[in-house]
Amino acid sequence: MKSALSWIVVFSWFAVAMLPAQARNDRAATVGMRGVIEQVVLPGSELEPAPSTAKTPVVLRVLQTWPHGEHLRYDLEWSGLEPGQHDLAKYLVRKDGSPLGELPPLVVDVTSVLAKGAAEPSEPDPVACERLGGYSMLQWTVGTAWVLGLLAILFVGRDFRRRRTEAKVEPTLADRLRPLVERIAAGGGDDAAKAELERLLVAFWRARLGLHGHKAGDAIVAIKEHAEAGALLRQLEAWLHMPKPPAAVDVQALLDPYRAVTAASFAPIVPPPEGA
Amino acid sequence: MTATQPSAVTRFPETRQFLEQIRSRVGKVVVGQDVVVERVLIALLTSGHLLLQGVPGLAKTLLVAAVSKTVDLAFARIQFTIDLLPSDIVGSEILDQKTHEFRTHRGPIFTNLLLADEINRAAPKVQSALLEAMQERRVTIGNQTYPLPAPFLVIATQNPVEQAGTFELPEAQLDRFMLLHRLGYLTKDQEKEVLRRNTLLGVRRDGKGAVARTEFDVLGEQTTGSSDQLVRAMEDVQQVHVSDAFLEHVIEIVNRTRKHPRLELGCSPRAGISLVKASRARALIHGRDFVLPEDLFALAEDVILHRIRLSYEAVADGWTAPKVLQEILGEVAQ
Repeated sequence: MKSALSWIVVFSWFAVAMLPAQARNDRAATVGMRGVIEQVVLPGSELEPAPSTAKTPVVLRVLQTWPHGEHLRYDLEWSGLEPGQHDLAKYLVRKDGSPLGELPPLVVDVTSVLAKGAAEPSEPDPVACERLGGYSMLQWTVGTAWVLGLLAILFVGRDFRRRRTEAKVEPTLADRLRPLVERIAAGGGDDAAKAELERLLVAFWRARLGLHGHKAGDAIVAIKEHAEAGALLRQLEAWLHMPKPPAAVDVQALLDPYRAVTAASFAPIVPPPEGA
Repeated sequence: MTATQPSAVTRFPETRQFLEQIRSRVGKVVVGQDVVVERVLIALLTSGHLLLQGVPGLAKTLLVAAVSKTVDLAFARIQFTIDLLPSDIVGSEILDQKTHEFRTHRGPIFTNLLLADEINRAAPKVQSALLEAMQERRVTIGNQTYPLPAPFLVIATQNPVEQAGTFELPEAQLDRFMLLHRLGYLTKDQEKEVLRRNTLLGVRRDGKGAVARTEFDVLGEQTTGSSDQLVRAMEDVQQVHVSDAFLEHVIEIVNRTRKHPRLELGCSPRAGISLVKASRARALIHGRDFVLPEDLFALAEDVILHRIRLSYEAVADGWTAPKVLQEILGEVAQ
């Protein structure tokens, strides 16, 4: 008895295993989810999915095709984009371009999981179309503005820079020394100021000629013997210390070595103008 | 017109010739030391006393002797020692055994040119006696006061080494010396010339014997100048022009020594006077009838250095008087 029961179980298991597999026939799905319809026989020549557009509510694929007598058997995969009932047959076309003809309906039901009244992405705001035409006018306008700008940079800017530079030109040491030297040459000037000017000239050239390592007496002799440095100092000594100062000399020539030096670079040597 | 060159002038031709003769004559026996000769001439022309500081053997005595013989001046030399008395210098009253009266014996200070050798070896009271005579140019012996001959010039020497048993001259007495010049060693070429000349000295016959000739023998007794010429030169120095601007330079330097933070003692007013006097003489020696700042700066060390004293802190910091003075002179010309 027990042996017979075992045989029945084994036979049943084999019987079930030998049954043909059940074809899938997904006729309903939510938006965006995949559904498969297998082993569907459709008449006529071979079909393929019609080209989809942005408005197509269903995406359809043909997974596999077999001959089925005079017809063809298909495995189809679909995915709904819009909720509602859709006939998949409407989204098929003949591969050979022949008319579709009568096809049995393949209705699927697409449902939405969103609650009713849920906000949906709104349509983008309407955008004004780009300006059409008037390019020549625009080119002339931009070109004229560019030329005017260039001219302004070249002339107005240059003039501005020149005026600014002129306003910033610093007086040279020669400019500052000239009134004092001319006053001394004319026999005027305060003794203390004259002596200070003489010492400052020595200091100025001592620094420029790198004579700081020399003793002060040796430095003075070296400065007086120097072609450039000595001229004004020798003349100043003549004016300041000789019992009969020499006649007028070319002050401008004496001040030549001091034209390349700004007065600010040697501030102590610049006594304020008389009366200032 | 180009810049004027304030250098030689045509004034004082006789004096310039006289000074050149002295330099030439001294140069025959003393090699190098041109600066020292110039300082001696400055002292001579201004009646300012001169202190020479240097190690032995630098021809200090020979130099002074050469100058004195060149100008026909009375010359005396005193070697200062610890046991020297003031009367050894200025003289004394001595009792004449025949007349039974006191007679004045004038000391060696009664001369034109006195060489006080190693002055710092004498006792302070001897130094004081000499320095008083230097200042007042007269000495008192007993109850009588005697003026010293004119010109009267003291050239003293002192040795910077071997300080044991010496009496350092105090600042007040150093101030009496117009110049203190520090002698250095000769250059190699100069020293070679000294040796070369020495080999040519030969011997001097003396009766039946002979002695090796020295540089002093080369001097001879013949003079090339006269005291009249010296007096004229001294008068010419007084004609040398001193500008107000030059006086401003002098005052500036002197004042800075008094305010310098590293100096305890600055220059006395006598230093300023000495600077001007010495600068005038130097200008004349260099052929000018006016002084220039270069005279001032060249003489500043000799005139000022012995008149200033460093502060304790400056000494502790390693400063020396010459360094401070150069800093002052650098600041003046800065």
